[in-house]
Amino acid sequence: MADPSSDKHRILVVEDEDNIALALDYLITREGYGHERVANGGEAMARIRSLRPNLVLLDIMLPEVSGYEICQAVRLDPELSDVRILMMTARGSAVERKKGLALGADGFISKPFELKELRSEVRRLLGD
Amino acid sequence: MLTRLSLRLRVLLFFAALGLGGIAAIVAGLLLAYRRAGVPDLAPAFVQAGLIGGFGVLGLAAAIWYLFDLNMAKPIEGLAGHLRARAHADVAGAVEAHSGRYLGDLAPAASAAALSLSETRNALAEAVARETTRLAAEKARLEALLSDVPVGVLLCSADHQLVFYNSTAVELMGAAASVGPGRVATAGAGPGLDRKLFDYLREGPILHAHARLGGADGNEAASDLICSTQDGRQVLAARMRLLPSDTGPRPGYVLTLRDVTADLALQAQREALLAEMLDKLRRPATNLRTLLEAVDPGAAPAPALLTALQQEAEALSLAVTELARRQDEGGGQGISVSVTRLSDLADGLRARMEGAGQRLEAAPAPYLLRCNGFEIIALLDRLVAGLVGQGAGPAFRLDAVEDGRDILLRLGWTGAPLPLKRLDDWLGDPIDGAALGMTGRSLLAAHHSDIWPETGPESAQALVLPLPAARKEGPRPKPITRAVVYDFDLLGKERNALVADTPLADLTYVVFDTETTGLLPAQGDEIVQIAALRIVNGRRVAGEVFDTLVNPGRSIPAASTEVHGVTEAMVASAPPIAEVGRAFHKFAEGAVLIAHNAPFDMAFLKRHEKGIGAGFDNPVLDTVLLSAVVFGQHETHSLDALCHRLGITIPQEVRHTAIGDTIATAEAFLKMLPMVRARGFETFGQVLTELRRHGRLLKDLN
Repeated sequence: MADPSSDKHRILVVEDEDNIALALDYLITREGYGHERVANGGEAMARIRSLRPNLVLLDIMLPEVSGYEICQAVRLDPELSDVRILMMTARGSAVERKKGLALGADGFISKPFELKELRSEVRRLLGD
Repeated sequence: MLTRLSLRLRVLLFFAALGLGGIAAIVAGLLLAYRRAGVPDLAPAFVQAGLIGGFGVLGLAAAIWYLFDLNMAKPIEGLAGHLRARAHADVAGAVEAHSGRYLGDLAPAASAAALSLSETRNALAEAVARETTRLAAEKARLEALLSDVPVGVLLCSADHQLVFYNSTAVELMGAAASVGPGRVATAGAGPGLDRKLFDYLREGPILHAHARLGGADGNEAASDLICSTQDGRQVLAARMRLLPSDTGPRPGYVLTLRDVTADLALQAQREALLAEMLDKLRRPATNLRTLLEAVDPGAAPAPALLTALQQEAEALSLAVTELARRQDEGGGQGISVSVTRLSDLADGLRARMEGAGQRLEAAPAPYLLRCNGFEIIALLDRLVAGLVGQGAGPAFRLDAVEDGRDILLRLGWTGAPLPLKRLDDWLGDPIDGAALGMTGRSLLAAHHSDIWPETGPESAQALVLPLPAARKEGPRPKPITRAVVYDFDLLGKERNALVADTPLADLTYVVFDTETTGLLPAQGDEIVQIAALRIVNGRRVAGEVFDTLVNPGRSIPAASTEVHGVTEAMVASAPPIAEVGRAFHKFAEGAVLIAHNAPFDMAFLKRHEKGIGAGFDNPVLDTVLLSAVVFGQHETHSLDALCHRLGITIPQEVRHTAIGDTIATAEAFLKMLPMVRARGFETFGQVLTELRRHGRLLKDLN
């Protein structure tokens, strides 16, 4: 895993499924961003506060605390106002998308996602 | 034998006998005196004396008969008619005494008896009325309850005649029984009491279920079946349960009906989607597995294999995305999810909240939502209670915003943001009053929906709940005008094969009246309006009314319009007689037709039998003839006179309209029915025989 602090952009991947995390690891590394991974929702909030990432790739279905809750908590914390959130879901229903965006997500992608789509969303949110 | 003759005829015969007897006595006396005198020259004198005496006696007898008939026999017959009217037809008031002034004290005595009868009856009626009012109120409540049941309920006798139906059953079967477009469909369509169930529903599945239940032990068993309306347009899921056997040797049954046409279509659609998706998933999944088998685990895969693997994975992922999208689109169309008016939802929530001391303001919005209203209200109420516990409220606001195919409900308040964790906890609680084990979360899942908090500027908070929109709200459906229609006496009714042997009260009657362009059907006059109602088991069936205008296909003379008020403009868009006649024929099927001066109305109908495609061969009763049987031939038998005698008031505005005269004729018939029976005529055949004796008044149609 690349060192998250080595680059100008820090990305935090919150994903419980190892295979998806593995794929994201390859994809993000190939794009040249530093990143770190957290596997459950309970740890995610503490890591976001300590790491202060520019972007969080946030899965919705997580053990302990859901992605929605993390999203709401980030948005209610004024100190984390510059953190961008890209939500990921396997279902991708219209209601999920509405709920995610309403709770403060900056983008929303459905799994399985294409590399092109992920790349353009990440670049958009990081302002590259 | 003489007692079968009318009083006036018997009196006439009596005086004729008296006159002839007198003449015979004079002739015999003169003959004897002539023989004893022995003077032949006196013969002309004796003959002259005999002629004078004979004519004198005959004239005297005729004169006394005339006076007797005028002042005694006729008033007695009239008095008897009045007394019968008071005794059997519940006519109130004193007997008109002036017509019987030669009857001595008889008329005043009869008047006193009638008054006393009427007083006793009033006292009794008051007592009965009190109890009846109480029972009627209870009955009305039960009827309202039954009419509001969201499934069609029918009760049928063992020979599949309708005994009870509710308004939902009318909706389910009404379309099937309609005969044509326009007013006819609404005029006489829909189920009718004592009509065959199979006029509306196809008989196969029902007969099969009935036979199956008849064979089962006890009455516990119910049978589920799928049947369809006669036109095959609606598929109904039905449940049949036999009535307890104490209602008769061959028990009737209850049939509950639910329209599953849309459900079946939805199910078929889902099954097709499932089959299609399974096929789309199976192929790439199988191919992937096979390709993976071909990869050598020890070496990097060949580029061709890798491309193939990528292609198959792509196909699989596309199929999954497609499945998710289509399931999403079909969301909210679940079988049990009903349609709720947003305003009703807001009213229901407000009522609950006000009970707990909170306020709800709701902006009016004309939306219909596809959701189970009661449970959604219970959920929102639970959430409000939770919010109030967190210090929010007590003022809340409910807004609705259109969002694509959904309506977003926003329950707003001012205060601190609601943590999602807490909302999730509340959604895990069981919903008050809902099905056992149903939580907020499972309710939302059933609606393919979710709920979340949103924070706006200046501490404006909201809970957002998307619900699928059914369609824009139309005008609220009309209140139910015909609640439930029933006559449980039909269950025990014996059905005779011959109408002539059937007791009068057991027959089904259709009373009708027509308004026409003129009085001469043979010279081209036509029907412009026809109305009818049904009498089953001696009672008028509320709601089973046929009332329609008819386009006569010719002009309506101003003089006729003046009588019945039907103008040419009114009938311009009305259906022609062929169409109305077909509907009326269906309405009157199997019933005895009743009309006041029936030959007149029948002549108009019979002329069009060919165009209608059916013959009016129903037995016919004429209330003019019936009035002659009951009141004697010397009375006037116009509808006005008959109604006046029977104490029936026809409101002036409906007099000479088809429906007004039909109602009056029906009431007159129902009042004369017990009077006819009191005269000893029990069956239809007996009445017919008696009517034929009066047939010279009018043509008999049977």
